[in-house]
Amino acid sequence: MPTVDTIAAVATAPGRGGVGIVRVSGPLAREIAQALTGGKLTPRSAVYCDFQDADGEALDRGIAIRFEEPQSLTGEDVLELQGHGGPVVLDMLLERVLSLGARRAEPGEFTQRAFVNGKMDLAQAEAVLDLVNSATRQAARGALRSLSGAFSKRVHGIERELLELRVFCEGAIDFPDEEIDFLSESDVGERLEAVRNHLSALRADARQGALLQDGLNVVIAGAPNVGKSSLLNRLSGEDRAIVTNVPGTTRDTLDADFDLDGMPVRVVDTAGLRETGDAVETEGVNRARRAMAMADVILWVVDDRDTSGDIGEKPRARGMTDATATTIVARNKADLSGRTTGRLSPGVVRISALTGDGIDALAKEIQHAAGYRAGEGMFTARARHLDALASAGEALAAAAERLGANQGELVAEDLREAHEHLGLIVGRVSPDDLLGEIFASFCIGK
Amino acid sequence: MTLHSETYDVIVVGGGHAGTEAALAAARTGARTLLLTQSIETLGQMSCNPAIGGIGKSHLVREIDAMGGAMALATDAAGIQFRTLNASKGPAVRATRAQADRTLYRNAIRGMLEAQENLAIFQQSVVDIDIRKGRVEGVLTAMGLAFSAPAVVLTTGTFLGGRIHIGLESHAGGRAGDPASNALAARLRALPFAVDRLKTGTPPRIAGDTVDFARMQPQWGDEPCPTMSFISDGSEHPRQVACHIAATNAKTHRIIRSGLDRSPMYAGEIEGVGPRYCPSIEDKVVRFADRSSHQIFVEPEGLDTHELYPNGISTSLPFEVQFALVRSIEGFGQARITRPGYAIEYDFFDPRGLEPSLETKAVSGLYFAGQINGTTGYEEAAAQGLLAGLNAARKVAGSDPWTPQRHEAYLGVLVDDLVTLGTNEPYRMFSSRAEYRLRLRQDNADLRLTPVVREFGLVDADRWRRFEAKRDAIGRANAALRATPLAPGGELCLRLEARCGEAVAKETNLLDYLKRPAVTAADLVAVHAVDADIPALALEQAEIQAKYDGYIKRQDREIAKVRAQESVVLPAGLDYGCIEGLSNELKEKLSLARPATLARASRIPGITPAALSLLLIHAKRLAGRPDGSAPAGAESEPIGERAARRTA
Repeated sequence: MPTVDTIAAVATAPGRGGVGIVRVSGPLAREIAQALTGGKLTPRSAVYCDFQDADGEALDRGIAIRFEEPQSLTGEDVLELQGHGGPVVLDMLLERVLSLGARRAEPGEFTQRAFVNGKMDLAQAEAVLDLVNSATRQAARGALRSLSGAFSKRVHGIERELLELRVFCEGAIDFPDEEIDFLSESDVGERLEAVRNHLSALRADARQGALLQDGLNVVIAGAPNVGKSSLLNRLSGEDRAIVTNVPGTTRDTLDADFDLDGMPVRVVDTAGLRETGDAVETEGVNRARRAMAMADVILWVVDDRDTSGDIGEKPRARGMTDATATTIVARNKADLSGRTTGRLSPGVVRISALTGDGIDALAKEIQHAAGYRAGEGMFTARARHLDALASAGEALAAAAERLGANQGELVAEDLREAHEHLGLIVGRVSPDDLLGEIFASFCIGK
Repeated sequence: MTLHSETYDVIVVGGGHAGTEAALAAARTGARTLLLTQSIETLGQMSCNPAIGGIGKSHLVREIDAMGGAMALATDAAGIQFRTLNASKGPAVRATRAQADRTLYRNAIRGMLEAQENLAIFQQSVVDIDIRKGRVEGVLTAMGLAFSAPAVVLTTGTFLGGRIHIGLESHAGGRAGDPASNALAARLRALPFAVDRLKTGTPPRIAGDTVDFARMQPQWGDEPCPTMSFISDGSEHPRQVACHIAATNAKTHRIIRSGLDRSPMYAGEIEGVGPRYCPSIEDKVVRFADRSSHQIFVEPEGLDTHELYPNGISTSLPFEVQFALVRSIEGFGQARITRPGYAIEYDFFDPRGLEPSLETKAVSGLYFAGQINGTTGYEEAAAQGLLAGLNAARKVAGSDPWTPQRHEAYLGVLVDDLVTLGTNEPYRMFSSRAEYRLRLRQDNADLRLTPVVREFGLVDADRWRRFEAKRDAIGRANAALRATPLAPGGELCLRLEARCGEAVAKETNLLDYLKRPAVTAADLVAVHAVDADIPALALEQAEIQAKYDGYIKRQDREIAKVRAQESVVLPAGLDYGCIEGLSNELKEKLSLARPATLARASRIPGITPAALSLLLIHAKRLAGRPDGSAPAGAESEPIGERAARRTA
């Protein structure tokens, strides 16, 4: 399939690494290279240069390499920008690339393009499917988080207002013989103004991060009294959870944010998973299961002294959750078992939450799990939502201008475009759905 | 044992709007064509309201015209009132609507059919279709006559399994006065097509000599009188008359409510789904209970009859209720009903069983067009008919099928919606269904389609000559506008600024100046900025193209993306049930729709970018297999073979 759009993403694991890479793939790669480096890059040769912003000022200094199709990772024109790795600089570099016409890559999209363009053989197809499936689930979890609660309500509210506005505009175009002149009877200008105001207020709030949570979502789960709350306190470095030796102390989910070498992490402590007659505790267990469903990484905590057969089994294998997140088994209470802490095997770490022994190894394991999909747009659910809101805002501004010039069919076109952008967040409204709204709102028909 | 048999290239069954365009199109390409109809007298019959066109619909009519079809020419010969709709809005959403004299319309269509080379017309009702090994071989008529052809187009309208309801009474019928085609319906129901029921209705007709027009508001057509066809000049139009506007009132609504218990819709007698946009008057009164009045367009049925079509009071209430409700309306106090209103239920076949060429997936060489596919409206039927007739003839000639894309024609939108999404109400065209409507205008249907279908033999020499002249004139207009510089302070610039109030800040040209909303082609003419020998029509086109230029360029990107997806073919045997990561709902929808390409899949409601990624990878994986075979467990038997076995 010939690609028509250009995608971009940070291709290195999130966090403060030594080098950070922004990767660009698609027909605009060459133009973007030119705009960023101010010169023509010879394919396949590295150039050390400034990465320039729109005013020609240096954003960062690093190595740029351009590859020409089909001799590239994805089989398309590719640009790689290797910069200084800090999250802020990388974000600015990515934003600059996006402003030059690229769009944020979907999860797994680079790999997918590589496969579609024949850069991988058929034997790898299953692996690609796995990756896309898993990246899709990852993204779905991200979207679920970002769409929960207040943000979702407000996006849906704006989408509804926009739909009503379109009902008037499209109704006026498709049913000019009806008794109501939709455009003049409704105050389209005022309604449009209201939608625009609500949208910019939402964007402002969302940009401040008040509504959208981002970063890695780590959920601590396990049986009661294995030390989950101690681990939360240890990881976040603060005393958020009450720690007692009474099983079932944590009855709700608790969370704390911390910074893992520059990677934002939200860690969530949950109630111990067990059958109980206590209504409050049962609710806590249900919440724990929901939290696991939204997790990127599950820390499955077990008591290192426990010798029962299935102790090392992960919760999914034990049928305790159908969450699909990467799971790390943390064998806790090494201080009591007296065994050596550290990484035992991939995904299994022995620790002591009490003393802090083995926590570094656990943190590395979390980073590894997070970096596993690096460069495939793992943490972009929120960013993509913000992109969509921004594009919708631009389309609404154009609509307002066209309304001033009394160009009804162009107002309708701009509103359609704004609606398409919101549809990327809340699901697309088909033309038939829109017609249904028109028929439900107005008595149409001879 | 057949008494008589004849062989053709293409047989068209049905002489309505789909059938006549199908037969004409097939014959124009050179195929030896037979049109079989129950009655030659009703060829080109307008069985519902006597009007052609409207928003979205006149776009289809213009496209039919651009492809050499009959509907626009017949409308120009029969139209007795023409109006431009949305005249105050932009050209993309302007449309033409005409009231037509039923008799003149029928005569015009019949004249064109009879004048068409390669076309034979025969009056016989078809009772069976000859299908062998999944291929159509011909048809059998009621008298036992056999006609064979490698391609058959079925355009049987509402005749299949038709049932007419008036009050709680019902009887079999195709439409008022005509028999239903029940033998054929039973035959088709045995084939592997998904059948469902739809409903539509008509109002009671009224004798005009019993109506007091002084109590209604007259509505005259536009001056100068628009034309439907690109090659008409208005001299074809017969005498023009007025329509009238009446309205229901509180008394009418009381009468309707009192009769609801005897309404077949409300008493549950009708299983078919009616259209949302064309509700019966009883529906309107119930659903919009707060409205105290609904308007009625009182349309003349023709010049030499006084019969009227009161558009807006379609009903299947018992006759005595119809009588009372009509008489409660201002101006209809003494009105006499000439024919009762009724609702009709009929069979249609799920159009997701069709290829975009309108050939059925189950039976090779068998094409469906018109209401049989779940659409409503003369224009929708005629456009499908033309396409099915063309593709039937092309198949027989060994050529590839052709269907316009969504960004090329309303016909493309219509067909794509039908074969991808199916329908659960009679499908009618609206401009809001066409996402690229800024380019799908009625003013440029010829520019979009005529050169393409001329290659297929659909366009005659006269139309082509006129088309070329128009296209050349537009080219000249564009070149002249682009070549005329506009410098700030220049003499021409001052004249234009004074007229339009649009300042020129830096040097530009007339074409770019024309992009501004406040500047019109008429302004340029008024200040003598362009040569007088450039036709007004060409300047107008140049202006429209300039005004929409920015939007159309933006859409180009979207279209390129869809094109790329169009190039990804989803194998017919793809087993959606086995694709991990698809929701069960999507698996079901995809299995039902079996989209031919990734682009079609992208238009299925509820599809997500992630699901499209999965489909893309699966499609590539299947395509990459060394022997091109589907993976184990997938459906490998062609559907046609299965159909053949079932019919054997």
